[in-house]
Amino acid sequence: MLPFKDLDPILHSQLRLAVISLLISVREAEFTFLKEKTGATAGNLSVQIGKLKDAGYIDVEKKFRDNYPLTICRITPKGTKAFHEYVKAIQQYINSSNK
Amino acid sequence: MDTDEKPLNEQASLALINRMINSAQQGVSDNGFYFLLWGWLVFAAAMGNWTLIHVFPTELNWLPWAILMPLGGIVSGIYGWKVERKKKVKTYADEVMDYVAAAFLIALFSVLFVFSWKLGWATTYPFIMIIYGIWLFVSGGVLKFRPLIYGGLINFACAIGSLWIHSYHMILVLAFAVLAGYIIPGHLLKAKYNREKHNAAV
Repeated sequence: MLPFKDLDPILHSQLRLAVISLLISVREAEFTFLKEKTGATAGNLSVQIGKLKDAGYIDVEKKFRDNYPLTICRITPKGTKAFHEYVKAIQQYINSSNK
Repeated sequence: MDTDEKPLNEQASLALINRMINSAQQGVSDNGFYFLLWGWLVFAAAMGNWTLIHVFPTELNWLPWAILMPLGGIVSGIYGWKVERKKKVKTYADEVMDYVAAAFLIALFSVLFVFSWKLGWATTYPFIMIIYGIWLFVSGGVLKFRPLIYGGLINFACAIGSLWIHSYHMILVLAFAVLAGYIIPGHLLKAKYNREKHNAAV
């Protein structure tokens, strides 16, 4: 078995990984889109988005549309790199487990 | 997804990533609005123009273009403002399509209002069909929708073929190119969009 590479603790969490996986496939997404797709509660999602933002993995833009607050999230280059490394690490681990 | 700290094993992580990436791509397909809008407007303008040249001759035979094309621009602008900005997600394909649509409009209006004035109407039809062909071909590729790609190829063929056609019939070639390139694929795209929306709701 190949030596196990430590998985990024920021991404190795169900909801944060789901958010990053959604954002990697799109240019930008609103908070409501992420909530709808992940099925998470607004409170929990806010906390996890905050953690991803603090890690520099996503950008969060807050603005208003028709007097309603709007939160838009985008993955950053750092987030994209971390996601690819995470996937690579998992694949390596799975491949070595199968040998 | 109730908890963020739920432990994940490696297989579950990959499954989650796949599920979310597939999910992000759902419900973001095109409803064909712009293809139908521009298809029907250009078809009406071309047929109106032809009628005012050959059936009810008038010097104002260019009027259908002067009315319908700016109308298309205004409707596209309002639709873009009202509907597109309310999209909860913007994909990379959306971004490419925005630039393609902007380039298309700039090229189309240049041909309709500058080339036609400088070079004469008959010479502009092949340019119009080439511009349509580019938009259709690129859009078909980005949306992975073959009828639009075929529509683009038909427009290229019509543009080249029309160079050997008398200007008397050129406008009818344009009407055919729009019917085959925009209107038919536009309706097929709308049907696909409605089907996907229905399936997502079930």
